[in-house]
Amino acid sequence: MDSLYFDQPKSSTARRARHLRGFVPLVLLAAAAAAQAQQSVLLDTMSAELDRAYKALGHQPGDTRQTPPYFLSYTAADADAVMIRAQFGALVGSSANRLRSVDVQVRIGTPQLDNTHGDHRGSAVTNIQLPLTDDKQAIARTLWQATNRGYGEALDNYLRVQTEAQVRAKEEDTSPDFSTEKPQVADARPAPPVKIDRAAWEERIRAVSRVFREFPDVYQNMVEMTVQNETDYIVSSEGSRVVTPHQEARIVIVSVTRAEDGMDMFRDQTFEAETADGLPPQAELEAAARKLGESLEALRKAPMTEPFNGPAILSGRASAVFFHEVLGHRLEGQRQRGDEEGQTFTKQIGQEILPPFLSVTDDPTKTAFDKTWLSGNYTNDDEGQKAQRVELIKSGVLKTFLMSRLPIASFSASNGHGRAQTGRMPTGRQGNLIVTSTKAEPEADLRKQLIEEAKKQGKPYGLYFEDISSGFAVTQRNSPQAFQVIPLVVWRVYVDGRPDELVRGVSIVGTPLAAMKRILATGDKMEVFNGICGAESGSIPVSAVAPAMLLSEMETQRQPQGNERPPILPIPSAKEAK
Amino acid sequence: MLLRRFALAALAASLVMPALRAAEPTRADAEKDPILKAMLTELDRSMASLQLKDFQKPFFIQYRVEDIDDFDTRASFGASLGANRSKARVVRVTVLVGDYKTDSSTPRGDGVAELTTVDNDPIALRSTLWAVTDQAYKTALAAYAQKQAELKQVQTPPQADDLSHEKPVVSLSAPGALTLDARAETDWTARVAKWSGLFRTDATVKALLPDIEYSNATFHARSDTTRLVNSEGTIMRRAETVYTEGFGVGTQAADGMHLDRSGASNGVVLSDIDSPEKFEKHAVELIASLGDLKKAPVIEDEYHGPVLLSSDAAATALNRLLGSSFMGTRPRLGTEARTGSAFASSYHARVLPDFLDVVDDPALATWEGKRLLGSYDIDDEGVPAQQVSLVAAGKLENYLIGRQPVRDFPQSNGHGRASVAGPARPMPSVLKITAKDGLSDDALQKKLIDLAKDRDLKNVYYVETMGGPLTPRLVYRISPDGKRELVRGATLADLDLRALRSSVNAAGNTLWLDNLATDIPESVLAPALLFDDLTLKKANEKNDKLPFYPAPE
Repeated sequence: MDSLYFDQPKSSTARRARHLRGFVPLVLLAAAAAAQAQQSVLLDTMSAELDRAYKALGHQPGDTRQTPPYFLSYTAADADAVMIRAQFGALVGSSANRLRSVDVQVRIGTPQLDNTHGDHRGSAVTNIQLPLTDDKQAIARTLWQATNRGYGEALDNYLRVQTEAQVRAKEEDTSPDFSTEKPQVADARPAPPVKIDRAAWEERIRAVSRVFREFPDVYQNMVEMTVQNETDYIVSSEGSRVVTPHQEARIVIVSVTRAEDGMDMFRDQTFEAETADGLPPQAELEAAARKLGESLEALRKAPMTEPFNGPAILSGRASAVFFHEVLGHRLEGQRQRGDEEGQTFTKQIGQEILPPFLSVTDDPTKTAFDKTWLSGNYTNDDEGQKAQRVELIKSGVLKTFLMSRLPIASFSASNGHGRAQTGRMPTGRQGNLIVTSTKAEPEADLRKQLIEEAKKQGKPYGLYFEDISSGFAVTQRNSPQAFQVIPLVVWRVYVDGRPDELVRGVSIVGTPLAAMKRILATGDKMEVFNGICGAESGSIPVSAVAPAMLLSEMETQRQPQGNERPPILPIPSAKEAK
Repeated sequence: MLLRRFALAALAASLVMPALRAAEPTRADAEKDPILKAMLTELDRSMASLQLKDFQKPFFIQYRVEDIDDFDTRASFGASLGANRSKARVVRVTVLVGDYKTDSSTPRGDGVAELTTVDNDPIALRSTLWAVTDQAYKTALAAYAQKQAELKQVQTPPQADDLSHEKPVVSLSAPGALTLDARAETDWTARVAKWSGLFRTDATVKALLPDIEYSNATFHARSDTTRLVNSEGTIMRRAETVYTEGFGVGTQAADGMHLDRSGASNGVVLSDIDSPEKFEKHAVELIASLGDLKKAPVIEDEYHGPVLLSSDAAATALNRLLGSSFMGTRPRLGTEARTGSAFASSYHARVLPDFLDVVDDPALATWEGKRLLGSYDIDDEGVPAQQVSLVAAGKLENYLIGRQPVRDFPQSNGHGRASVAGPARPMPSVLKITAKDGLSDDALQKKLIDLAKDRDLKNVYYVETMGGPLTPRLVYRISPDGKRELVRGATLADLDLRALRSSVNAAGNTLWLDNLATDIPESVLAPALLFDDLTLKKANEKNDKLPFYPAPE
């Protein structure tokens, strides 16, 4: 019989196919030559084929019913990556791969109303794998195949958009579907292929994982290294022609334990740098793993938290995560538009939403803060727009939103924050979110103020949030307007001078706006959080930078817990434990 | 580091030891393999000590560990899309509580699967086994309680035990490996790139189809070394390899109908698959056939009458219809059904014409010089393979049985088979369908035409090959004068078990081999079948718009 394995090629996802917290393997990539001359074959073929398609679509003999597109773009992602993963002290996988794919975006109608309107946004992007070699004919035919599919989809969606527009009531926000922007031209050297000593790194990653053999109650661990060098190539019918390289090396250490009562607890730490050479030395990685192990052994024996409403300090790292989740996501442009969105800040432009000593910018043009590399940096966003430093909040007053090319009532243009992973339609997203303060004090003073504040409120202690994990910010209307951040390490700081006490099972309750207004002062040391952020337009690398914060009031409760018992038998490595 | 090198050396040493199987291997032999040794250590520890206070201990634990070495290279329109070589090791742990009569197994298939280390590090491997065993045991306790409750809800008791008693076996084959070095990988990548571009480079077809919409080629090689130990004392090490080259191409006819052709050549060793020259020639023929299909008329609205399925087409149809019907899967609780499959009530009944026999024979290793992908000597539950006579003179005599018995079949017949990381299920291995007094291809063609003449039909049909199980790809309309014409867009509407039982007029005397590189590899040997009365009609699939603009040069 004819074999059943072959069908139309399936779409695939490569660019920034990264995942939250690194538990899931990345699309893994590796070596192959990528000389500059080669790359221009890709870009030139994309450009020529886009031109041909733009002139031909809707203009074929007999095309009376076929509307030509008003916008067409090709965004190719050429990614080379290596992934090494270890668990229980030994290698689970090590792979290298190279992958090229392209997103074809077709827009039909007018910028005011097109096939992407409302719920149809995602349908305008068609993703397909591209040949790795610079075979013009193969690249051109692949683009033709994807453009045909994308155009058919766009015609279909445009028809639906028109029908829906006729039957529904007037929308709250009548902004156009696509902003008018100048064509962008940006040339850059493509990212080089990944070059690392794999065998040496495999041994290093194993050794980090092996540290957990010292901790018999840490029943699960994972150490993963990913190095991804990627270059994006964008051409559009508006005349844009953009090359943007991005390199990132990342190590994630995750460890898990379970308390006797069944509560699961995890700790993780990540290390990021532009290239593998910039990652910390081995001793530092192993020390970090050991610290996580010690922390989990302490946490599983820590007393359970009690419901509490009183003063609290967020460490710099915790503040960075908190601002990214609670504030940053709500400042994304598209969240101000659409009937399903919460629109927390939509009508608050020009109003004070934070204490006046705080300002917030998002600056993807910054590649490092002090000496720490920022993973949310880029030169052009995924719509080709030049990255911009955006002052979101100045002295507590809301100034603007994170804008892609999707306009909203208050802002009609992109500010270079249209971001997405391959295969998704870009939306307004964070890059490097930076929180600054004019009321910065040494952290020792902050601690004193915490104790004073607790005394004033008649509380026996205040809380110190040392580490917080990012959850998912829920901003849709039918969900509670609560932020989802999971406190991992929380201490009670007693007013009577007792030593600080670790507690477990803390979860934060309350509304975001209220919590942010209760910031009394900040620390004087900025901390960087590099991470992978997931939202509707996919997973993308981001950074957040913030000082520690003292809040007059933070409401917490016990988190719901699992009730599975800890493992019955000791872990096989238990005898090796100290 | 030193320690690991030593362990690897020990493994390597164990590989070159003389064939152990002949000498009735023992547990001591098995323990020379560091992976098996780690598995046995953790198995013993779990059987001895794994118990939650006030709950019962497991009565059965099984560890299956699979080493996968995989190479895959893909190309489209003449250029490579990428190649991957990857190694992975997967564990699957089954823990049962209760007893052989009533255990904690559920219809979903039991056990928990997890990736583990590819290093030969016993502590790391045992750590994964430990974590998964703990989880599987707790799940089994909950499932057992649930099952006890469900048993109280039904009047009819289960028709068979939950787990069969089997004699423990120690069977140790050498671990498998892919015979592909970096050079061979590069060669295959270049080869599939070339094949995927034949539509634009081959002189005989390049002018034929400017509107080729896809043209893909792949090469895939996989080695799977399975190690299994269970608490009854079975220890097994078995290696399987699969090599596949594939090609697919498609376009649309002027009316928008999608036209697709594809082909694959699969084998146990590299020398079993078609030579590059032969495969390339086949690929060119497939492209050329699209040209013929494009010009071919669409089949008539509906046809009832004689249809001849070539042995190729019959193999596809028979496997689809019979393969799953023979499975001795456990029936739904509370029913008196024998199995959960289509032949549940057909034991000793006639299911095929009396001139047809069916056996499933995992021990059949080759056919006409070709190794069979579905062949094995021991199954994925550690039970030695057995030849099973399923249908004799048209009557159902047997089922395919794994370790979950069904009524009247208390023992496994070595057909418990699993995909990588999957639970074992009773599955066919080498399904062989033969006809008594079968006819030659020429005689069948003549008989087809005779039927047309006898019944005064203006034409009859011949199906040469299938795309999907019931979707013919190449169908010929044959007039009583013997004229053949290719038609497109046909579907077989009523090719079902009833048609197999009562509409087969004659069968061929030669067998077609389908070596299927599916998740659970399988081989099918089948003769051509002439049906008295089948329905062929227009598929009426959606005819998509033709490409909106011309293909590039």
